Amino acid sequence: MKKLKVVHYINNFFAGVGGEEKADIPPELKKGAIGPGMALEAALGDEAEVIATVICGDSYYGENMDSARKEILEMIKDTQADAFVAGPAFNAGRYGVACGSIAKAVEEDLGIPSVTGMYIENPGVDMYRKDIQIIETGNSAADLRNSMPKLAKLVLKKAKGELVGPPEVEGYHMMGIRTNFFHEKRGSERAIDMLMKKINGEKFETEYPMPVFDRVPPNPAVKDLSKIKIAIVTSGGIVPHDNPDRIESSSATRYGIYDISGMDSLSADDFTSIHGGYDRAFVVKNPNLVVPLDVMRDLEREGVIGELANYFVTTTGTGTSVGNAKGFGESFSKKLVEDGIGAVILTST
Amino acid sequence: MRLELGKIFIKDVQFGEKTMVDKGVLYVNKQEIIDLAMQDDRIKSVNVELARPGESIRIAPVKDVIEPRVKVEGSGAIFPGMTNKVKTVGSGRTHALVGSTVLTCGKIVGFQEGVIDMSGPIAKYCPFSETYNVCLVIEPIDGIETHAYEAAARMAGLKAAEYVGKAGLDVEPDEVVVYETKPLLEQIKEYPDLPKIAYVHMLQSQGLLHDTYYYGVDAKQFIPTFMYPTEIMDGAITSGNCVAPCDKVTTFHHLNNPVIEDLYKRHGKDLNFVGVILTNENVYLADKERCSDMVGKLVEFLGIDGVLITEEGYGNPDTDLMMNCKKCTQAGAKVVLITDEFPGRDGKSQSVADATPEADAVASCGQGNLIEHFPAMDKVIGMLDYVETMIGGYKGCINPDGSFDAELQIIIASTIANGYNKLTARFY
Amino acid sequence: MDKLIITNNSLVYEKFNREIETVFLDKSSLYQLLECVRDLVYMGHSLYTHPLSGSIKPNETPYKSVVISKKKGVLDVESVAIIEKSMDAALRFMKNYPTPPWTENILKDFRTVDLSLIENAVDRMGNI
Repeated sequence: MKKLKVVHYINNFFAGVGGEEKADIPPELKKGAIGPGMALEAALGDEAEVIATVICGDSYYGENMDSARKEILEMIKDTQADAFVAGPAFNAGRYGVACGSIAKAVEEDLGIPSVTGMYIENPGVDMYRKDIQIIETGNSAADLRNSMPKLAKLVLKKAKGELVGPPEVEGYHMMGIRTNFFHEKRGSERAIDMLMKKINGEKFETEYPMPVFDRVPPNPAVKDLSKIKIAIVTSGGIVPHDNPDRIESSSATRYGIYDISGMDSLSADDFTSIHGGYDRAFVVKNPNLVVPLDVMRDLEREGVIGELANYFVTTTGTGTSVGNAKGFGESFSKKLVEDGIGAVILTST
Repeated sequence: MRLELGKIFIKDVQFGEKTMVDKGVLYVNKQEIIDLAMQDDRIKSVNVELARPGESIRIAPVKDVIEPRVKVEGSGAIFPGMTNKVKTVGSGRTHALVGSTVLTCGKIVGFQEGVIDMSGPIAKYCPFSETYNVCLVIEPIDGIETHAYEAAARMAGLKAAEYVGKAGLDVEPDEVVVYETKPLLEQIKEYPDLPKIAYVHMLQSQGLLHDTYYYGVDAKQFIPTFMYPTEIMDGAITSGNCVAPCDKVTTFHHLNNPVIEDLYKRHGKDLNFVGVILTNENVYLADKERCSDMVGKLVEFLGIDGVLITEEGYGNPDTDLMMNCKKCTQAGAKVVLITDEFPGRDGKSQSVADATPEADAVASCGQGNLIEHFPAMDKVIGMLDYVETMIGGYKGCINPDGSFDAELQIIIASTIANGYNKLTARFY
Repeated sequence: MDKLIITNNSLVYEKFNREIETVFLDKSSLYQLLECVRDLVYMGHSLYTHPLSGSIKPNETPYKSVVISKKKGVLDVESVAIIEKSMDAALRFMKNYPTPPWTENILKDFRTVDLSLIENAVDRMGNI
């Protein structure tokens, strides 16, 4: 029995190449299993082997998604692989986005069955869950021993053309694909069962969960703009040229607060955009397109607004987890309140 | 109201000299049915064919399906306001030829719809693959206006079903089920400790090929009202809805409404089934507001503890469904919805056209966008030449041998949103 | 009268335009018509009928008629929600398969059904 050929994708860190300072390495194909790939090979058993490993820096992939993807697809095509495993990425945001992106592309464009794995809060989950099976993992590499066998099992199943079971059986995050099946009871009977449970205060499970209404109720409108102090908050990734706080170009784990005292507008000499989710050409020439300091100063001068805060808050929105975004907001809003800021203008891209 | 429903189980259908039931076999006189239908001068020709479970037969395009029934005792007659005079029905005794149907096929519009496969892989999606069907293939006179053709076909089906139903008049039923709903106060006195449950039944009411009738009144024209559940068993509600086959509520499904039947099963045990609130699904938004407000008001007024809501159709009726859900919840009732889904072919998109946070308890009747393969059948009753123009079919989908690939949408009542079937959907 | 009919169905235009102001977008697709209605809603018109009228799906029939208010007011958020959800739904169906090139006979039937749906809705509106 010929062994199935599996190709593995990992990042700079897991390849042992280096940490954050090596996050910009371009993709490279190496023979055999590397790092966690050995755990993958062990889990695959006799049926398959890891014939090659693609290593790519997370920042490189994040900032060159199209070209990196194409490059890696070419590498994998040449290997004539039967199956593909990316990661698992656990809770690493950029890694998760890269894994989801490449696993989807390998399956869709090359027709090679693929699997990846991530922790629920990884932004890659929400971005790619519909497109490719993402095995549920813990939030750190400590979970490797536990999760890798699940990735191996599922990818083997797919490679052999077997039917993929429901999420709770195979261990992947709910994909969100509505799939028909025949129940033993008819709909009306099940509905009455559900109603009686609801009436009796018992737990019941809806068969179609409504979309989540994660709404933040807005505050009441500002009564008098001319008296209020306003700050600009952006997720458009505007930072000083040297990006002193090392805000990531995607899947941000930090935010920055930068001084604009005495400035009438943001100069391209002082500020730039590091956001990886849009074409930065126009913004790099004129950062006011995302942080409208020039217009806000006009409004301040004209007395339309009371005062503009002498700093703006910034981070990168693309691929940033909801959890992180919430955390940032809770953190810097304290400072805003302390500084007497009554309203913010949020600019996104 | 108290109704004894005498179920006469039909095990076969044959053509015969006399329309009658003998030892479970339904015999129908073909010519008499044809003559009856031809009484309507809007009809050019009628053919009658039989389809039995297991046969390699495909029936298309189906317009309505009706269960033959006859009133044996009690006020009024079957299909009041349609084939018979208006008179309140739902009490006394009615016989039903269970396991048989009369159905109509006809090219009312150029885009055809409604397939029934009597055998093969598609049969499991359709309840009528298991019944003995008397099929009327109706051709209208040339140049007839669409509204007139629709009315003619509808009446022909009801008349034929009534005629066939009469065969059960003097037959001893195999099973008699008693359904009883007492006037509200009496019934509450009878079961003071059981939660009061009402069924909110939304009727299709948008216009041509999208109508339903209550005692012959177009559902568009009424405002929410209260109905004894047994009225529906005598045909007080009939269908004029001929589009989007998968969630079409046929007259058969009105007669055999599963929510009513299953609520009766538990009535007096752990719930008190007090009755049915009828409402509609008009296109005019103010009507939606008005009717859902009134449904909520009735729920509050009658002291209802729990409500099941079913809808018919997709799109704007989802808005009525959510409005009714919201207002019944606000009126103090616990609510469960029954609906079908259209999440796109890949199953990934939003399944329902509207949503509200109160809709936290939903029973799903399956998704209609799934593509299935329909193998060729030996015989076609009706016409197959327009499958590609069927809702759910698509250009290039039909092969020379008669087989084709199409969405589930194309099968009559496959995802019917009243919970009649066992098909459901879940997230993968 | 506070009604304005937006339609791409010639039957609807012919039937109503003498008594009710009717905007006839005869070259527009169903989706383009919904976009136009959306724009009008954002300008302050309210919806009187639901844009997803009929069980024939938005990728099957090319015809659609919607009644909105003639007068403009403060932004009607419910109308906004309804038209946006309707456009979402229409787009979703069209992604599955686009409207086929129907024959004239079938187009005539679709026009007839659309006319009936809007006719009945206008009827229900009375003297608005």
